[in-house]
Amino acid sequence: MPTDNRRIQGPEISTPYCVFGSSTENEDEDGCFKSTDPLSSTRKDGRALLEHRKIYMKTGVVSQAKGSAYIELNNTKVICSVFDPREIPNRVEYSQHGELFCVLKFAPFSCTTRRSHQQDAEEKELSLNLKRALEPAVCRHEFPNFQVDIYVLILESDGGSLAASITCAGLALADAHVPMYDLVTAASLGVAGDVLMKDPSEEEEKLCSQHFERSNLNHGLITVSLMGAHTQITQVWQTGSMTTTCVSESLTHLIQSCEETYPIAQRCLVKSVVDTISKKKVPEQS
Amino acid sequence: MVKSTSYLFFFISFGNFLSVYFIFQNDLRNDGRSKQDYRPIELELDIVTHANGSARVRLANTDILVGVKTEIDVPTSNRPEEGKIEFFVDCSANATPEFEGKGGQDLATEIGNYLGSSFASPLSFDLKPLCILKGVQCWKLYVDILILECGGNLFDAVSLAVKAALYNTMVPRVETVAMDGGNVDLQLSGDPFDCWRLDITNIPCLVTLTKIGEHLIVDPTAEEEECSMASLVVAVTESGRINSLCKTSVGSLHPQTLTDALKVGVEVGVGLNKALNEALGREEKRLQSNKPERFGFLK
Amino acid sequence: MAAQYKTIHPVKYYRDFLAHDLRPDGRSPDKTRNVTVNVNSISTADGSSTVRIGNTTVICGIKAELGKPKPDEPECGFMVPNVELPPLCSPLFRPGPPSEEAQAMTCFVSQATSDMVDLKELCVSTDNLAWVLHIDMICLDYDGCVQDACLIALSAALRTVKLPKVEYDAETKLPSVSLDERADLHVKSSPVSTSFAVFDDEIILSDPTGEEENLSSAKLSVVTDGEVILSVHKPGGSALSETQLQDCISVAKDRANLVNELINVALSSVDR
Repeated sequence: MPTDNRRIQGPEISTPYCVFGSSTENEDEDGCFKSTDPLSSTRKDGRALLEHRKIYMKTGVVSQAKGSAYIELNNTKVICSVFDPREIPNRVEYSQHGELFCVLKFAPFSCTTRRSHQQDAEEKELSLNLKRALEPAVCRHEFPNFQVDIYVLILESDGGSLAASITCAGLALADAHVPMYDLVTAASLGVAGDVLMKDPSEEEEKLCSQHFERSNLNHGLITVSLMGAHTQITQVWQTGSMTTTCVSESLTHLIQSCEETYPIAQRCLVKSVVDTISKKKVPEQS
Repeated sequence: MVKSTSYLFFFISFGNFLSVYFIFQNDLRNDGRSKQDYRPIELELDIVTHANGSARVRLANTDILVGVKTEIDVPTSNRPEEGKIEFFVDCSANATPEFEGKGGQDLATEIGNYLGSSFASPLSFDLKPLCILKGVQCWKLYVDILILECGGNLFDAVSLAVKAALYNTMVPRVETVAMDGGNVDLQLSGDPFDCWRLDITNIPCLVTLTKIGEHLIVDPTAEEEECSMASLVVAVTESGRINSLCKTSVGSLHPQTLTDALKVGVEVGVGLNKALNEALGREEKRLQSNKPERFGFLK
Repeated sequence: MAAQYKTIHPVKYYRDFLAHDLRPDGRSPDKTRNVTVNVNSISTADGSSTVRIGNTTVICGIKAELGKPKPDEPECGFMVPNVELPPLCSPLFRPGPPSEEAQAMTCFVSQATSDMVDLKELCVSTDNLAWVLHIDMICLDYDGCVQDACLIALSAALRTVKLPKVEYDAETKLPSVSLDERADLHVKSSPVSTSFAVFDDEIILSDPTGEEENLSSAKLSVVTDGEVILSVHKPGGSALSETQLQDCISVAKDRANLVNELINVALSSVDR
């Protein structure tokens, strides 16, 4: 690894202590499998298989940004801010459509193992997916030759980071008054064998990305983002190995989840508008 | 008067006032193909001598060269029983004017990432045989993809070339492994031809489905790509399983279109895999028979 | 109207307010903003805290790892504090390596906190194994006095760290960690920094916002711990008289006590 003299460096090699860990509570792998036993329909955190986690959303969390949003799905916490359009740097030709510049970053402490300060391949891939998910929803012809900067920081990741980031960025864009056709909401789903799990946690995601010894079982993860009012899928991203029927079934569930999230996002935006108006009125009265 | 079977699409690219039009008449495209036809594909194996495996695929104007190199590496701590595979895509500046400077980098990352995720499942490519000694030594496959010319439909062509190159890859056989204190003592087979081959049966082929107007087409040319609003890449295995799915362009899709596209994609993908396997078999035979007999001690 | 006036003549705008001994946000010049402290908000970190000073928000997460001590200090563990000013927190920053400001802040924080934990206590086995505490402070909202918030966040987060018991096996050269036995980190001191901005060479604004920092002619940070002054940092700018400095120090001392009380309240409110 190249040395970074702009930061304080620790020793070159340091390992997370969990690697050497031994715990008397034996909950490691057994507990994980128990959670997805097809016979029991409840998961480790007490949810039913097709139950989404509770969502908390808030806009206007970063005072310095044009628009910002924060989203929390239990332990998954994501913050996003959007800035005023600026000219696309290092571009000679005129571009007909405005661009979205998306940077997604995990905080160093957001995952079970420490993340580096530099953007890694996974973060680049997620950034691209985020961009693809938002592009169709933004009226990009309204700001030709300009780019809107979207920065997403995942403070804590417990599954569904991409879905949370997309929803969060969609809200932040709306909060920044960027012209849009529709709001974007996203949801994720995990498949392990015949079991479909909505909004899987980190542990469940890991389980879904492995496969079982019995071959030819479906497994994998799907994330879908949707423009609710137009019923248009803006991005779909699947990994793993599934049959076509399984993918189609998952898509139906995911679209339903996205549609459920949509009114929550709407309410959140309405609330922020009401708040701004009432705030503006107060000084006039006094 | 426009008949129900014939549509005229007129697209104008404002940047250079270039107008491209397509006539879908009786389900035919302007180059005479039907919606689900591929352009002619040429395949060559074993053309880079210093690589462990290589392949070149030419899909009409799209030209891809893939080389596979094997190296010994240490497995990651969370997957001690598995080998590694890494994709590196290089877009040659000659491939298309857009790749000049840093233009091709984003596309290269996208293709690399996507290949990575379609190979991620153990059901598509099992990394376990690549392990030499659990937790200590494994094979790492470096798959270098060079895009020589870009004539549309890069994803499909790249995946075909990668699958062919992996088919062609010879991994040296390890004779003995011994632990000497903290060091590993590896003995490779003395015979350079004593190799084993990778199992490629479940490696998926990527199928790009492009939506132009109301039509879903496969294998778009560069012009057709220019006119499309949405395209979808599906990784399909020979048995018809979907190993990865991603939307790759600007634009959105209706859920129904997506499900339809998936069906078409799987159908085409299965056919493509079969065709590739047959071609690989033929090419292999040709290579075997074409080996010139060598005479004399100076060779 | 006020908004236009403010954009065109920000300095005059501020002068008009300060003539009445008030700041645009309604504070008097020596008044500090409200501080809120929240601890253990990130479950993936070994210790974490979120601190808000007015709008300014900093989140601090500590990840503990095991590493080999440096050969020249074989009995010491590591504290690796880093301040990050991501592009997310303000339009002033772009993605890429840390800006000069972030580097300066990292330096300030690491100096102010160098005495908080005895590094020797972080050592597990001399010359073989020691704890490495990666302390990352990320600014989420950049509105003045970020370094103060970073210091508070670090101080609160350090107090939430519970390190598992580790034993080093000299023969296999492998550590064994018992995840169930955890002990608090022994934190020796509680430094609190309070920043000031000098406006028009004479008026001192306590705990300035981002705007006020921009318009100021000089900045001053005072780090105190109880009754003791740990550091006074005044990087250039307009000069200050001795009485002014004394005033700042007394404001800083009062605030430090308040902040430390807040941290304690936040810590005791969490089920530990």
